[in-house]
Amino acid sequence: MIATVSAEVDPTRLPALVVIGMAIFFGTIFARLFQLIRIPQVVGYIFIGLLVGQSGLNLMDLQTVNDLQPFSFFALGIIGFLIGGELHRDVFRKHGPRLISMLFGEGLGAFVFVFVLVGAIAFITTNSIAESVAYAVVLGAIASATAPAATVNVLWESKAAGPLTTTVFAIVALDDALALVLYSIATSCAAILLGTETSALSTTIGRVAWELLGGIALGIGIGVILNFVMRKTGEHENTLALTIGAVALVTGSAHLLGIDMILASMTLGCVIANLAPRRSKRAFETVERFTAPIFALFFVTVGAQLNIGGMPGWMWALAVSYLAGRSIGKLAGARAGAKFSGASQSVTRYLGLCLLSQAGVAVGLSITAGHRFSGDFGTAIISIIALTTFVVQIVGPPCVKLAIHRAGEAGLNVTEDDLMREHTVNDMVDRGAPEFSRGTSLNQILRTIAQTQATAYPVTDTTGGLAGVITLEGLKESFGSEGLTHWLVAYDLMEPAPDVVHENMPLCDAVTRMRDQQIEFLPVLAKDGSDLIGMLELRTVTRRLSEEVMRRKQLADASS
Amino acid sequence: MPHSTHRKTIMRLSDYLPIEHITMLKASTKAAALSEIAHLLVESDPKLDFDTLIDAIHQRENMLSTGIGQGMAIPHVRLNGVKRAAMAVGVVRDGLSDYDSLDKEPVYVVIMIIAPEGHHDTYIRLLAQVAEILKEDELREAVINAKTPEDAHNVLCTDSS
Repeated sequence: MIATVSAEVDPTRLPALVVIGMAIFFGTIFARLFQLIRIPQVVGYIFIGLLVGQSGLNLMDLQTVNDLQPFSFFALGIIGFLIGGELHRDVFRKHGPRLISMLFGEGLGAFVFVFVLVGAIAFITTNSIAESVAYAVVLGAIASATAPAATVNVLWESKAAGPLTTTVFAIVALDDALALVLYSIATSCAAILLGTETSALSTTIGRVAWELLGGIALGIGIGVILNFVMRKTGEHENTLALTIGAVALVTGSAHLLGIDMILASMTLGCVIANLAPRRSKRAFETVERFTAPIFALFFVTVGAQLNIGGMPGWMWALAVSYLAGRSIGKLAGARAGAKFSGASQSVTRYLGLCLLSQAGVAVGLSITAGHRFSGDFGTAIISIIALTTFVVQIVGPPCVKLAIHRAGEAGLNVTEDDLMREHTVNDMVDRGAPEFSRGTSLNQILRTIAQTQATAYPVTDTTGGLAGVITLEGLKESFGSEGLTHWLVAYDLMEPAPDVVHENMPLCDAVTRMRDQQIEFLPVLAKDGSDLIGMLELRTVTRRLSEEVMRRKQLADASS
Repeated sequence: MPHSTHRKTIMRLSDYLPIEHITMLKASTKAAALSEIAHLLVESDPKLDFDTLIDAIHQRENMLSTGIGQGMAIPHVRLNGVKRAAMAVGVVRDGLSDYDSLDKEPVYVVIMIIAPEGHHDTYIRLLAQVAEILKEDELREAVINAKTPEDAHNVLCTDSS
């Protein structure tokens, strides 16, 4: 018997699965389109979010965004976990004191400048010192937060490595904690100033301590357990399930217990990366491959919940002053902190540019503020952060990209697969590969083979076109027969080429063909015809790509 | 005693050379001899086109003569239309003086080898095995002096079977 399942469907709202599919599918398409015009993919995701969200067609309304909240938490957990994976003990050992200086520089810089500018504008618009200081202190605290997701997404997309990249990873991981501390203190102050505070300062300090220390403790606890289980099972296929499970467990538990979920998942990543550097590398690589749709969904929902319509003029004025203060504070504070700590020139110059993005943490804090402070104050905080998030999410990622490129760190953290995608066959073809005409004698062929390293040699016809190939494998039968060497020619020994490629084919496609057909070489033809231009050997490609990966790694290490 | 790690697989030439593929040639020129032997192969494989085969044989001869010296010639070719590897032999009592062999001497025995395009291993191994047999002075003389196809078949096929 076939059971019929019916479900209550709200005709005014799209089903969650349709929204998820739409967000991932169209988000990815837009991200790719933006990438083609050299704009980071995050902007593409957010753009489609704006289009389908509150600011656009409202296909993804606030209720839907709330329904998808577990996915957003999970995405934040994954992001935190991957950032934690970048924080090896060497980073702290080498850059620890510098990081503290830069962290306080950029965080407090943003706080101070926003405090001053927003305070001034708020005083002009409200004519109340208490209210203007409340705006200044709360928005100043929120301004110190940096969006780790959007920032590190650009770093990963740019395959960046080097001192600036390492510093940005560490700063975005840590300034969440700084923002939380500042925010907790700021909202307590604001509550006193606005006359809504009921809890004591000691309660506030206790709550902050619980959020931060609880996050660290949770991350360490689950991290130790995950490491133990992975060591015991040791099976590759379990890695993804175990790691994803641990991240979800940490994130969900953090939400349940009211502790900082990014800090908890970051600690989880950090613990795993430092307890078992080699084994955890596989875990991080596996999770990274799994992240694209999660990131797409996360950033689309970030875009969808931004509502930038219907704001009164004074809120716009506060938003502009917040934006200006935060940008100046981040840039100047990061520069001052880096200079004070003696960081390298590239870090001093470009760190601030990498820290402009704001998203999840800032929006989350503003919503918390909205809940805590009813009336205009709460609404203004949410609206200002929504509007400015929209702006910096569009401007921030390209700034990170610019900074990473200016610092010369883009493309230094690559794998052989990444390089394969960057190159065409033309870049790796051996144009000087020895080739034989059909009448070349076996004697001559054997002499050439003895002097060269190739495993296959093309044979050309009278017009220079490819007639076939001679392989060492195919020749082995004739090696033992001395009598053959005088009267066999290349024509007798050649075999049909198993496949051919044109010089403009992407290298990854050519390598895939060789691997699929289990062949070690491919003759390469000119892009506009059938003329042979050389040979592509799998072992040469592999060797050259490995050398390039090593060279870039050494370059990144040397500048650290 | 040292033990050889490389053992060559010996092919049975009789699998490729039926007695009907051996003839005592009447031809006195290279072209006529090649044509006569090619006919033997075409007769036993109706799908094989004579013109295609003889063109390919001549094309190969134009690159380098297959007259390997000491009265022997091994014309050979791989072709798409060939069903399976095969050999045919022609013995010329008076020799073919226009064969342009490596030692410039007349050719008395023509051993034609054909194989399908993709059968590279079989093709090379057949060539190698025939060359090995003909290196032996005694066997070579015996083939040259064969009076009947049976004599030639016995010499070429008995040794390898």
